Amino acid sequence: MAQHQVNYASSAGLPIALTSVDKLVNWGRSNSLWPLTYGLACCAIEMMASGASRYDFDRMGTIFRASPRQADVMILAGTLSKKHSEFARRLYDQMTEPKWVISMGSCANTGGMFNTYATVQGVDRIIPVDIYLPGCAPRPETLQYAMMMLQKKIRRESADMKKNTKQDLTTQTGKRARLI
Amino acid sequence: MRKYVPKDNVQKKAYYTDRYHVVPTVPQSEVKSGLYFDTILTTLGDAVNFSSIQLGQLVIHINPEDNFQVMKTLKESCGYLQCSEQSAVDYLAKDNEFELFWQLLNVSVAKRIRVHCRLANGAAIESIEPLFKSANFAEREMFDMFGIKVNNHPFLKRILMPDDWEGHPLLKTYPLHGDEFASWYEVDKIFGKEYRDIIGPENRDPAKIDIEDTKRFSRVGYEVPFGTEYNGEEENDIEYSETALVNYNKKTSKQLDERR
Amino acid sequence: MQVSNKLTPFFENLNFERDDNTMVINFGPQHPSAHGQLRLVLELDGEQVVKAYPDIGYLHRGIEKMAENMTYNEFLPTTDRLDYIASTSNNYAYALAVEKLLDIEVPRRAQAIRTMLLELNRIISHLFFVATHALDVGAMSVFLYAFREREFAMDLMEDYCGARLTHSAVRIGGVPLDLPEGWLENLAAFCDKVDHEVEHTYGALLNENRIWKMRLEDVGVISAEDALSWGCSGVMLRGSGVKWDIRKEEPYELYQELDFDIPVSDRCDSYGRFRLYMEEMNQSTRILRQLIPLYKDTEPQLMAHAPRYISATKEDIMTQNYALMQHFVLVAQGMRPPRGEVYVPTESPKGELGFYIKSEGEPYAYRLKCRAPSFFHTGLLQDLLVGTYLADVVTIIGTTNIVFGEVDR
Repeated sequence: MAQHQVNYASSAGLPIALTSVDKLVNWGRSNSLWPLTYGLACCAIEMMASGASRYDFDRMGTIFRASPRQADVMILAGTLSKKHSEFARRLYDQMTEPKWVISMGSCANTGGMFNTYATVQGVDRIIPVDIYLPGCAPRPETLQYAMMMLQKKIRRESADMKKNTKQDLTTQTGKRARLI
Repeated sequence: MRKYVPKDNVQKKAYYTDRYHVVPTVPQSEVKSGLYFDTILTTLGDAVNFSSIQLGQLVIHINPEDNFQVMKTLKESCGYLQCSEQSAVDYLAKDNEFELFWQLLNVSVAKRIRVHCRLANGAAIESIEPLFKSANFAEREMFDMFGIKVNNHPFLKRILMPDDWEGHPLLKTYPLHGDEFASWYEVDKIFGKEYRDIIGPENRDPAKIDIEDTKRFSRVGYEVPFGTEYNGEEENDIEYSETALVNYNKKTSKQLDERR
Repeated sequence: MQVSNKLTPFFENLNFERDDNTMVINFGPQHPSAHGQLRLVLELDGEQVVKAYPDIGYLHRGIEKMAENMTYNEFLPTTDRLDYIASTSNNYAYALAVEKLLDIEVPRRAQAIRTMLLELNRIISHLFFVATHALDVGAMSVFLYAFREREFAMDLMEDYCGARLTHSAVRIGGVPLDLPEGWLENLAAFCDKVDHEVEHTYGALLNENRIWKMRLEDVGVISAEDALSWGCSGVMLRGSGVKWDIRKEEPYELYQELDFDIPVSDRCDSYGRFRLYMEEMNQSTRILRQLIPLYKDTEPQLMAHAPRYISATKEDIMTQNYALMQHFVLVAQGMRPPRGEVYVPTESPKGELGFYIKSEGEPYAYRLKCRAPSFFHTGLLQDLLVGTYLADVVTIIGTTNIVFGEVDR
């Protein structure tokens, strides 16, 4: 994790070659990720604590924006209930490209300890997720590590951003479908 | 043939009860005459079917038709100005009845009373919202969770579940993981029924392990021995051992089924 | 030829300024403020709210149903997630209800530790209230200062039980762990710091601040009868002049032996409640300072002795055979409390938190109902928001101090 010096100009041994335009765009995108405030439950408190005095989020260039049109990252922190799932999807759709999703906490990853009738068992049933962050509630440093992991992921992408998320499914008829 | 599982109470039950186990009960004492709670009982008169003192609180049982009158008396004559809580207990499997309870608080004397009544399945209860405004939300929650209708409530609508939910969750017949309607609710709502087989059913097994899972962990492939420096450049191959690791997700074999 | 003038504009079907035209807006489930998932449907006449309808249930996780399928000990970490800002108070309310049902007595050292944890959680919750209320109203730097203090408190909780937010620091029958070395000194230093900050930082910044007073005075006025009728409790009642605190009236743990005051305000508005929260933090530090010498002269027994319901201590389990067998049965099957019901109220930082447990002698509760203070405070918003301006809506939601883990359960 202690990778303080990031060489933005190198390709870091990737299978694809990034052009310098890609690297410039990725440098810009990764260093100013603006999250959408999507705190749902207890993990929201840890997200706020990570944005507060001790674990400052602003040093990564993040500013929490309330409007989906102005946000890049959607940090889903907390349990997504079935009543709310429609609005989560709607807000995800309203975010403008390029957008990424961090699923924070066990409730957002897989439904967590709430294995009940009213929780969505994992946010990735309805929204494609880039980074999964386990914990209940994860420490603020963990959230910042996830953000740094997302930054690493962004730097590896080419600027036209073909989505590469876990939801790469094959339907019963054999057609490859993807949750976008 | 599969074993008969009674469907009137699908909650978890103890798998073993000792044959000679005697279940103790919470101590209930009689209301002593002349003390504070006795004055309450005399004020209420014969609306009270049964009364006792449990753990410092007076518990009275009434008929469901009298609930508004009893609450009115308690509020105006006895000073119980706050209805702290109100809900129901599902006894449909045993007696085909609900047991409703109201918890009242008297702030000036610092005493609490719990009022119980037994409501038959399908009957409705009179709302006490004109007396205690907290009943507005509490009765809506009772309706949402149990399906108990409340007469003369200003706004009886589902409160905790979505408005188009079918089923009343806290009934004993409702499974914890939700019935079929519940499990596809969000997929149907957002994407439509066609996406049911694209997204797939919910994974309700918390112990499910997928051999592909670790491929996406961060730093996998870049592990270094304990104590050495991390330079983040060399990648090691991930080895999955089929002999040492057991795949628990496979279905049980025919041999095990026969032995069962 | 159609001539347009002010009397007959071109677009004939459009309605311009009509006096009865109200606008319905949706104060949606996703908030930029801290309170969680509240959806308010507001009908506005200009800037004034004519009708407000709170729509909750966006965080309903079925906790009460989970309680019917889990043993009593298994359910304790789930209660953490109700009022997730001050988790130990929920754990404690549940443990107290079960202990009343079992009729067991908790040893004195465990009582001292529990009271310390409860008051520490009260400070944590009130600091959070100050931070988010100030953030909503607009004083954003107070958010950072209060969170700084909160981090010290969470460090203390983490030293004790290992978790910052969802503690599970209390067990049915006592506490699992004794205080670590140096914890009491850190606690004393923390109390001094909180007292200093309440007076010099938050107090100095906000108490006599003209803008703060203008935003908060006469906003969210609740009379005492309305507050009682709506089921309010805690600071909402005390801010309206009703002197009711469960720690004094129906005391539990060591509150009978401790010397503290209950601040009450007659102002009935948000400013009064804000001052009450600040004053309660001072009272909490006073209680904590009294508890430190009280803890020091107790015997080191942490869990109640009730072999039918509670396992023995770890040393006994590891060495004695019968303790191991008993522990196994209690963990695998669950303890079976007596048949009956219990309702025990406690004073959580948000109000009166109580658990109604109905048991049929099974290891799983037959019915568990959590009486959450924030549920009724959210209902109160229906009456409270009418006639206020849109900017005051945010202030009022903040002053009711609602947490959606409790409201929706």
